[in-house]
Amino acid sequence: MAQHEVEITISKTGEVKFHIKGAKGKSCMAYSKWLTGIIGKVKDRQLTSEYYEPDIKTRINLEQNLKTEE
Amino acid sequence: MSAIIVLTPVIIANWPAITAAVAGAASAMGLLVKESISQAVEEKQSNVERNVEVELSDSKVLMESMATDQEIVLTKGDIELRVKRDERGRCSVCAKGTGHSEAEMKQIAEEFTGKLTQCFVYDKVMRELKRKEFQVVNEEVMEDESIRIHVRRWVD
Repeated sequence: MAQHEVEITISKTGEVKFHIKGAKGKSCMAYSKWLTGIIGKVKDRQLTSEYYEPDIKTRINLEQNLKTEE
Repeated sequence: MSAIIVLTPVIIANWPAITAAVAGAASAMGLLVKESISQAVEEKQSNVERNVEVELSDSKVLMESMATDQEIVLTKGDIELRVKRDERGRCSVCAKGTGHSEAEMKQIAEEFTGKLTQCFVYDKVMRELKRKEFQVVNEEVMEDESIRIHVRRWVD
């Protein structure tokens, strides 16, 4: 189980800033798509290093494959 | 950290949803809902009356359940704000009052459209978060009048 967190700031003019934490790669992209769909237009997007990390499932499979090869 | 996204809201809603956001914004700004235009009695003002209209650029009021002449009238002191659907289907706010400069009227109208957008976005975001089974960890109104919400959920 992974914990996904979102910090949302709605400015007094209605502009919205989402800070997605814990979601990586595809799942982060899915959140981004979902939030854009419900709010509107993307003004700015910053991807952090965690975004490029593989999901937990992918990492486990990779580790298992490495062990098998040994 | 995974990503930080800044979004500009687009308001596409039917009139009841706009009305709910208007009520929230009016309450936050201490405005009173006067009445709908169909019931309004026009009052003649002897002083110089100024009229400023501000449009919510990225908005679309859906026609369903809305008569063409429908609008909401809000008042605070001698200022009157009218929220309506314009000819192009956009939501617009018209500020009217005596004894205020045009710049002051524009500022009031813009402040209200901002608050209206904030209320609309808040309602929409909270509804969607609930649908995705997020739990609200914390929620607060900051000094700059922004709303900060912290949510969390567990996924497989």
